[in-house]
Amino acid sequence: MSAIGAAIAVCVAACNNQTGFSGSVGSTPNGPKLPSYQILGTTGTPFTATISDSRSFWTFQGNVPLFIAICNPPTAEAQMVVTKTGSDTNLLSASIITGNHIKDTQSTTAPFGSVTVQTGKQTSVPSAAFPDLRIFLSGPLKTKYQALVEDIDTGFIIGSVPPTLIVFDTPNGKVDATFFGPNNHTTFTADMTLNGEVVVPTTSGGPNLTIREP
Amino acid sequence: MKDFFVFRIALRLTLPLIVTICVLIGGTSPAMAAKTARVQIGFLGVPPAGFQNVLLNVVAVRINPHANAAPTNGGWQKIPAPPGIGGGFNAELQIDLNSSQNVPQLFNTAGTRPSSYRIAQLILDSTNPGSLIPNCPGPSADGCINYPIQLVNANGITLAATPGGPPLITTATGTLTSFVLQATVTITKFPTAPGGAYTVAIALAPIANPAIGTVTGQVTVTPGTGSGTSTTGKVRKLTVTAEAIGTNTTIATAPVKAVVSNCTATSPSGCFTLALPAAGPPPPSTAPFGTLYDLTVSGGADTYAAVRLQPLYPSGLITGANFAVTGNQTLGNITGTVSDGCVPNKTIAAATLQLLIPPDPIAKTKPLPTFCITSPEQCISVATATTDPSGNFPQPGTATTPTAFANVPILAKGSKGYVMEVTAPGYDPLFVLAQPGNGTNKKGGGTCSLDGGATFNACNLSMMTGYIAGAFAIVPPNPGQTALVQVFAEDHDTNNIESALPMGITVGSNPNVTGCSPPDGTVCANFKLNVPPSIPIGAFDLFAATIDTYQGVADPYQGHSIVAISDVPAPAACATVTVPTTTDPNQVIGCVGHGSITGNVGGADLGASVVLEKLDPEGPANDNEVQITSSLVQNQSPTDSDATNRYSFCAPADTYQVQKFQVPSPVPTVVPTAMPTAVPDGTPVAVTIPPPPNAGGPSPTPTPSIKCPTNCSHPDGTCPGICKNVNQPL
Repeated sequence: MSAIGAAIAVCVAACNNQTGFSGSVGSTPNGPKLPSYQILGTTGTPFTATISDSRSFWTFQGNVPLFIAICNPPTAEAQMVVTKTGSDTNLLSASIITGNHIKDTQSTTAPFGSVTVQTGKQTSVPSAAFPDLRIFLSGPLKTKYQALVEDIDTGFIIGSVPPTLIVFDTPNGKVDATFFGPNNHTTFTADMTLNGEVVVPTTSGGPNLTIREP
Repeated sequence: MKDFFVFRIALRLTLPLIVTICVLIGGTSPAMAAKTARVQIGFLGVPPAGFQNVLLNVVAVRINPHANAAPTNGGWQKIPAPPGIGGGFNAELQIDLNSSQNVPQLFNTAGTRPSSYRIAQLILDSTNPGSLIPNCPGPSADGCINYPIQLVNANGITLAATPGGPPLITTATGTLTSFVLQATVTITKFPTAPGGAYTVAIALAPIANPAIGTVTGQVTVTPGTGSGTSTTGKVRKLTVTAEAIGTNTTIATAPVKAVVSNCTATSPSGCFTLALPAAGPPPPSTAPFGTLYDLTVSGGADTYAAVRLQPLYPSGLITGANFAVTGNQTLGNITGTVSDGCVPNKTIAAATLQLLIPPDPIAKTKPLPTFCITSPEQCISVATATTDPSGNFPQPGTATTPTAFANVPILAKGSKGYVMEVTAPGYDPLFVLAQPGNGTNKKGGGTCSLDGGATFNACNLSMMTGYIAGAFAIVPPNPGQTALVQVFAEDHDTNNIESALPMGITVGSNPNVTGCSPPDGTVCANFKLNVPPSIPIGAFDLFAATIDTYQGVADPYQGHSIVAISDVPAPAACATVTVPTTTDPNQVIGCVGHGSITGNVGGADLGASVVLEKLDPEGPANDNEVQITSSLVQNQSPTDSDATNRYSFCAPADTYQVQKFQVPSPVPTVVPTAMPTAVPDGTPVAVTIPPPPNAGGPSPTPTPSIKCPTNCSHPDGTCPGICKNVNQPL
């Protein structure tokens, strides 16, 4: 066991004198822990979905699987309505996860079946997000990553797997995002849209990738 | 955020540390037994009577050789929810025991150690194990709403082998063992209030004759002359995949291995075994229905192959599903974009692309390259891709398994390419010929031809659409409430839904209504829907339904009525057909409350279903029925005294038609040319669900216990009370 102790000592020593990210990216205070949203089921099943918090909503199309995160939600209240857009009996399952627990999950196999999951109770009618800032990340499926997504006020940490759609509710100033892959073999691809217009075209890199709103 | 980056640094050091420790202690530990056996788990449901849905949130099934193994025993072998289904972090699969009464629902297949297992345990989500949705009326309140469940299984949901008796399952190296568990849910305590929990006990039992059939065969690989590699990454493993006939829906996948029992092939050739659900009844019945599958071979840098199978029966065995492929193919990729042919610069997200090939024996007749364009129903999907939010395809695979479109065998010179079908809801399907590229540019691979192979260009494809616009009249919700209206379009006289709104229409109590003159007391839910302009039948049926809330959360079945519009002519490409707003007060979406229809179907087999139809009072005479939804006919075992052939719908209290549909019974040993379709059987029967009595009142006090729990409420503040059921045999 002395060898193990030596290995631990070396590793702990190596942790010293490390510095964080320099420059403006990464200098924001922590935001609250975010819930995550999943649309899973039979791989490739197409759907249309609307996700909302108590202030804004976003509509998008995608295929199973897709993971979604809302940065800067005003409250923990959220809802996601997902409708299959295929006439098959493929499974589609929508879930909201807080911490390590599935807070709500609903599934459908019906043609054009619809499911709704939510946390909290609807007390307000959200408006279409404005500005509507979206970041889409793709990369190897099942590859866990962490991301820091921030405006000039607050940074939000996201732990997920690709593909992920990240929306930022009412950002203050420009938004940037940095994705941290697990190893040197990971390559991510990301883009950013603002009100439907591409502001950061598809960008690839790995294991870490940063995109900034111009 | 600095703590985040410290965390990142610590995380980066964790892996080397763990590796170091493992290396140091590895030499002192006994080698772990390899998981060389494969176990496939399935569920057959025995739900309590009277429910629309009986939902269990399954995290995993685990098995152990020791019947009295402690929860922390190291011998447990876990078969988790499939990652593709359940996700990466918090995997669970929701199964409906109501829809798996006749044919097992496959859960997952996983590697285990070869052993004899004497105990199995079902692991449900610890915080949300499942829910029940009763038909009307509910146990203590409304029906057709969600009730959570609480378990009484204090020691977990387990099934143990009889002491001294045979094990539950025995697994062996290189062998697939199918283990179907019968899950019986028994209610021990009913909820006493809306939203309260049912207390249930769940029992597991082994199935002597599960409705599972087996398909075995051999894949013979002849060496080819290509590189056997992919220019864009790794090579997918050689597998055989079973798909539901005529679809790209994967039911099960098996590796092709030479080192398995009774396999005479030598690598890279090999054998495979698939255990697949088969519509029964199982033996001793002598007249099972049977299930139809397509098999595809892909991966391993080999050419594609496919075959359509004869019907598979419970406990049946189809042997000789043999394939001959050519190995050492040079693999290329097919990439590009899909966009809207009517709106410049609009890309199409979530489009599906499939490579189609003719199955054997058609393939051996060397059909025209365009065979799968002219006869797609006779072809089989061997590779599937989807577009991302920017319309680009394909999306990536995993770190170890590249996407199928990055591993496409490059065809010989002079070939016209593969037939590629592109589909997206609301658009005409598009068929092109596609040639994979062999460059290293991952984003510029392949070319496509729209003219039958005369010219090939980059696969930047556009799809045609048309539009149907109009407005559904709806009684506005009370102040402070909203209603969400969804609109669907389906091929006229069918239940083939073609399109739905990307986002439901939110209707408030005082919306800003323009361009619409609805009946008095109503407002308009305006819509504009993409539809494919070139459907053969030339017309659509529309229907609008709401997504309601109950106690502040989404209601699984709505209390607002459904409105249908029949026979709307298809628009020309890029054109709009406008549906006039109704003046008929019967064509208004209103709050009518929940309801349900249940009944028996006499003499049904597993090809029977029941369709719920709504009539359009303003539609063409004798052609005004619009199909809304369908129900399987469940629980039909002839050996089961409770074989009730039941169907059931949760639907708003209104007048409908119920119509039996029948899929033709597959003919034993005959391979169909295409997927059979259901046709009406008999005449439809009119059914009226009585409206529930009103409850609640304009003020929540002094009777707060009956304050309306739903957004389906009347202008005077009352709302529908406990719903009613109609029994309608067919």
